[in-house]
Amino acid sequence: MRNRTKRKLILFGALVAILLLAAIFAQVISPYDPNLQNYEIALQPPSFAHPFGTDRYGRDMLSRVIAGAQTSIFSTLLLVAVISVFGTLIGVACGYLGGLFDGVVMRISDICLAFPGLVFALAIAAVLNGGIQNAVLALAAISWPKYARLARSQTLSMKNADYMMAARLSGNTPLKMIVRHILPNITGPVLVTAMLDIGTMMMEIAALSFLGLGAKPPTAEWGSMMSGGRSMLQTYPWVVLTPGVAIFISVVLFNLLGDTIRDYLDPRSTHGK
Amino acid sequence: MRKKKIAAFLIFTLAAAFFAGCGHSESSEEKNTSGKKTFVYGVTNFNAENGETDINPHNDSSGWACIRYGVGETLFRFNDAMEIEPWLAESCENTDELTWEIILRENVNFTSGRHMDGEAVKECLEALVKEHERAAGDLKIEKITAQGQTVTIQTQVPVPALLNYLADPYGCIYDVQEGVTKDGIVCGTGPYKAVSLITDTNLELVKNEDYWNGEPKLDEITIRTISDGDTLTMALQSGEIDAAYGMPYASYPLFESEKYTFSSCATSRVFFGAMNYESEITSDPAVRKAICMGIDKEGFVETLLGGNGYPAQGVFPENFSFGGDAVQGEPYDPQGAKEVLEEAGWVDEDGDGTREKDGKKLILRWLTYPSRQELPLLAEAAQSTLKEIGFEVEVNNTADHSSIRADKDAWDIFVSAMVTAPTGDPEYFFTYRCLDSSSGNDGSYHSDELEKLEQEMMQTFDTEKRSQLAVKMQQTILDDHGYVFCSHLRMSIISKANVTGLAAHPCDYYEITADLDVA
Repeated sequence: MRNRTKRKLILFGALVAILLLAAIFAQVISPYDPNLQNYEIALQPPSFAHPFGTDRYGRDMLSRVIAGAQTSIFSTLLLVAVISVFGTLIGVACGYLGGLFDGVVMRISDICLAFPGLVFALAIAAVLNGGIQNAVLALAAISWPKYARLARSQTLSMKNADYMMAARLSGNTPLKMIVRHILPNITGPVLVTAMLDIGTMMMEIAALSFLGLGAKPPTAEWGSMMSGGRSMLQTYPWVVLTPGVAIFISVVLFNLLGDTIRDYLDPRSTHGK
Repeated sequence: MRKKKIAAFLIFTLAAAFFAGCGHSESSEEKNTSGKKTFVYGVTNFNAENGETDINPHNDSSGWACIRYGVGETLFRFNDAMEIEPWLAESCENTDELTWEIILRENVNFTSGRHMDGEAVKECLEALVKEHERAAGDLKIEKITAQGQTVTIQTQVPVPALLNYLADPYGCIYDVQEGVTKDGIVCGTGPYKAVSLITDTNLELVKNEDYWNGEPKLDEITIRTISDGDTLTMALQSGEIDAAYGMPYASYPLFESEKYTFSSCATSRVFFGAMNYESEITSDPAVRKAICMGIDKEGFVETLLGGNGYPAQGVFPENFSFGGDAVQGEPYDPQGAKEVLEEAGWVDEDGDGTREKDGKKLILRWLTYPSRQELPLLAEAAQSTLKEIGFEVEVNNTADHSSIRADKDAWDIFVSAMVTAPTGDPEYFFTYRCLDSSSGNDGSYHSDELEKLEQEMMQTFDTEKRSQLAVKMQQTILDDHGYVFCSHLRMSIISKANVTGLAAHPCDYYEITADLDVA
């Protein structure tokens, strides 16, 4: 069973790596400049020269989907990195210190969790006036409590373990305790949560962009590309479908990889289907 | 195994629900079982964002809805050649420069039942100048007197275009004694009577049995606000609405069949940008000139508007003697624009593609709004061509443009759509947009020359001379590069083939009339 999980891990890992490489080297592998407008070839269906067709400004859709990968995937990774690191640190601090600090921070996180995430992010993004950085910031502001809660509960459960007592008795400072003994022990669950979160976050960034609060023109971003072309769904479907399929494939890949990593890291797991 | 069965069942249910959602909704005709003739009209622009919160002509731009949907009528109207002719009035005489004697039709009643006489018109016009700032500025009324079917208007100064102004949608005559309901409904003289109104949602109309100009052919009409173009497309496809105004061009191919009719017409609606003279960037004349030279109007019209318009030179379209090629704007010339910027000291020193001068980057904040679907397209098209000449264009496409516009530090160019000659007379555009006293002079444009020409325009009654002045005034603002005019719009109303009597009009005012019928 474990071997099968390992094989899946390698397969999905490789596919995600290809996706990441495509995003990193977007400028190199794009056949055309993604922002170059050429009205003469506007709205051409997929062809040999333009495998994904062109949009209404005559921009090559393949190049835009590749450029969009860079925007969409990197902003998602940045977002997940920020919320997982920030959330974990807060959670560990709360769990370790306890008291008033813990109470105040956890109530704030309760408030965040009580809002429908996307609606709250929408409000923040609107106040910050759009842009992909602001969309990331808006989603970060609402998404960190999940990690804080996870890290806090893990910290609480190990705080009074015997080895922690021993470490404390041998004169370790609180900072050292956290860095040396707590963080390494909670990395696994946080990592798995983060991996499974990538798909969701990618969808939420795309959703904000679709609503006009994410990437601003002419930045290629999958959500805003779908939004810009949505009036053409019936007449020139490739303009909407290509970025849509790109979102679909990336989200599925990241989710599968996340699942597999979870199975792999969890020794008790036997359902490595 | 059991789990798989459950999964299969769930997928089946979801798929069934999905396809059920795609089904045709019942059409408006099928719905009507009571033998009444009904009509549903889907429009994108009857909403608060456009200043049309209701149908009270004295409220902002709501007069447009009042006149378009057959509730209100004006004393004078425009024919297809945009010439003024009497409507609720029978005739008019100019006894001296300041006095206009208007004789009203005998046979007109308001939908409240009251007879439309001189007194009623006087009350309505007095309320108009009290409540509507732009109307007060246009009409400059000193005194109105009424006797029987005669109304005499005296102006403070000569107002040569008075009749044209009275034909503006704000000039809809309604029964002021009956008043305005809390929903903003008025009793006009049109072929249909409003019965209920919910802002941004719908307006319900019923036949005016007592209409003076023929019998309206439909019993009930619903005007439905559908601000989203795609929703509008699907509503017409599914038969939920019978006709649509404001269809996105991208959807036109879907309706090019014998099942639908297009009524198209060139209008005086222009897509144009107003430069902000209080901004550090656009207060520089070279920058303004470069912007005017850096927009590919031809490409915008041909490709992005799908040929539904034509490139603009100046303020007015070519069907006016003072419009079209009577003036000369800057042609699209990216190379020339680069030279203009170069000479003015805007150079790209750090090689990032954006020019700088005195440590300031050439960043152009382009403010526009989405309810006219062509505007975001224009923004993105201009962003690309201006980038080539060294601008970095930051597009702010927002429905909240009014509050941003009020902050002169927040934008450099405001690009909007406007009907420039709603009154068929050229003076309106300048008095509304370009003078020191204009309420819509967003960019604080000022020209001594233009102010002087306007003084002359105010005193000129001769149409020929007014046209000549209009040409001079346009050329003045074009030479200052205070505004950039991109294209004139060809607008279309798309209706089901069984709809007759719904025609696009060059002034974009008259849509629902007594002629409208559904076969």
